[in-house]
Amino acid sequence: MKRFTREAVLLLVAIPILLWTLLPIYHIFLFSISSKDSAFSGTLWPDQPTLRNFGTIWREEHFYLHHFWVQIWNSLWIAATVGALTLAIASCAAFAISRLKVRGGRTVMNLALFTYFIPAAFLAIPMYKAMGNYGLLNSRWSLVLAMVTLASPYAIWVLKQASDKLPYELDEAARIDGATPLQLFRLVYLPLMTPSMVAIGTYALLLAWNEYLYAYLLLSHEQTITLAVALGHFIAADDSPWELLMATGLVYALPPAAIYYAFRRYMVSGLTAGAVKA
Amino acid sequence: MATVAFREVHKSFGATKVLHGISLDIAEGEFMVLVGPSGCGKSTLLRMLAGLEDIGGGQIAIDGRVVNDVDSKDRDIAMVFQSYALYPHMTVRDNMGFSLKLRKEKQKLVDERVANAAKILNLEPYLARYPRELSGGQRQRVAMGRAIVRDPKVFLFDEPLSNLDAKLRVAMRSEIKALHQRLKTTTVYVTHDQVEAMTMADRIAVMREGRIEQLGEPLELYDHPANLFVAQFIGSPAMNVFDGVVKGGAVEALGARWPARGGAEGQQVKYGIRPEHLEPAASGIAAEVIVVEPMGAETELVVRIGNTSLTVMTRGRSNSGPGERIFLAPQAAHAHLFDAASGQRI
Repeated sequence: MKRFTREAVLLLVAIPILLWTLLPIYHIFLFSISSKDSAFSGTLWPDQPTLRNFGTIWREEHFYLHHFWVQIWNSLWIAATVGALTLAIASCAAFAISRLKVRGGRTVMNLALFTYFIPAAFLAIPMYKAMGNYGLLNSRWSLVLAMVTLASPYAIWVLKQASDKLPYELDEAARIDGATPLQLFRLVYLPLMTPSMVAIGTYALLLAWNEYLYAYLLLSHEQTITLAVALGHFIAADDSPWELLMATGLVYALPPAAIYYAFRRYMVSGLTAGAVKA
Repeated sequence: MATVAFREVHKSFGATKVLHGISLDIAEGEFMVLVGPSGCGKSTLLRMLAGLEDIGGGQIAIDGRVVNDVDSKDRDIAMVFQSYALYPHMTVRDNMGFSLKLRKEKQKLVDERVANAAKILNLEPYLARYPRELSGGQRQRVAMGRAIVRDPKVFLFDEPLSNLDAKLRVAMRSEIKALHQRLKTTTVYVTHDQVEAMTMADRIAVMREGRIEQLGEPLELYDHPANLFVAQFIGSPAMNVFDGVVKGGAVEALGARWPARGGAEGQQVKYGIRPEHLEPAASGIAAEVIVVEPMGAETELVVRIGNTSLTVMTRGRSNSGPGERIFLAPQAAHAHLFDAASGQRI
């Protein structure tokens, strides 16, 4: 009985939250399968649901969608590169600090944590200036570098905590077996860190995929912007094509959902791995 | 096979000195056990030999070559850890062959050596398994297999049996001993368990607080402990020790006269006698039985004289029950006298 009450309470809380979360998504879906005329009709289901919007996107048949494929490729390329670079930096840093016990490792960790006292938005202008100095503005690399900078501290922090949990005897055994630090990294450390690495790689990838502010500032040419920025352009006009905006938004949300679904097993275990210091 | 030599080896962790000038020579093919209570520095000494810990002072030599500044991997040693330290993402075969692969040995040689080690250790059916699919004893054997395939000059064991249950520990004890007799590789074995030390060692170094208290063959340590610490550390159940005074060729203690040799008239001593040398008899020193612990082949009695508890070990069964009075006959030849102040053997 007690258990029943507890579950009932949980459900009573969970159902409204779930609806609250799903409602906007349903709204997006509704818009995306409506024709331009019926988009604002206010019904719960369109009279004549249509997939024509997606066809328009596919064939880039609208002024705002002329570079759709280039822009989604930009988004993908930038997100994947940010994920890979962040992983490379964070795993090397975590390995050096946690396993090789490099001098000053603690300071690096504290600095990494300290960066979170400064909101990312504050850094946008300095970052813009820096990229300008290096002539990187309007290049995909400017956004990649900016996002790697923002994602790395957290990534290092989580991977370091996860590394600390690997038994140190493994390193000692490998050293006696004749492994150099690089071999230790490649043959012992990385394989054992895979779950955390997947989680952190996905985190960085999604961070870059969802980024708007930096992408908007650093990239301005129609051929270089990401899809997130392109979506923003939709509402620049008085007569915005809402149904196309929502349809494109739905398409834009699919890759992260797929990635999350594919790696969900790692996400939970990996992200909580660094949560508590055991 | 190789010799190992420690010369005046020192070590400090910060301000704490953990090793105070250890000198120890280990002969070719010898099975040397370092034993002592936790914190005595035995593991630190082993880790220094392995190259996992810097050498604070003095020299360590393997086969005459000073290895102070030689990397672990170039010392030609293999180590078995208490926690096994198997690579969880590798199969048993890959775990055992890892060191050879790092040395870029030919695959054929790696396979051969791994197969050979697996045969010696009865691991052949498990070569394709992962460590998580093995029992504790099997993991321990894989850890040994990893050491064997290297064919190193020296085997190092760091409390390898501590994580196993009692029955398995006894079995592995004889396996390691048999392995040593077969391979005859110089071995340094660290344990806090004096039974392991006694049963496996060619020679034992008993350590306490960063010093070697006594070095010798197991029975030599048992029969002639150099001081009170060794006397009470080696042997199970532990030696009975109590205060007394030498008078007229015997020791007066606990209101009785205990036969003993040596000691100056009137000297304050600690009188030590092992449980099996204190047998119940028809007459002798009176004691009250507190606990009877029958073990089948022998019986352990805890008795009391005044306020002092003593352990008595008798062969076979005992008819005594708790509360009964019995008489004890100490064997003079096996009594040990230690200086009351210094604890050194007289």
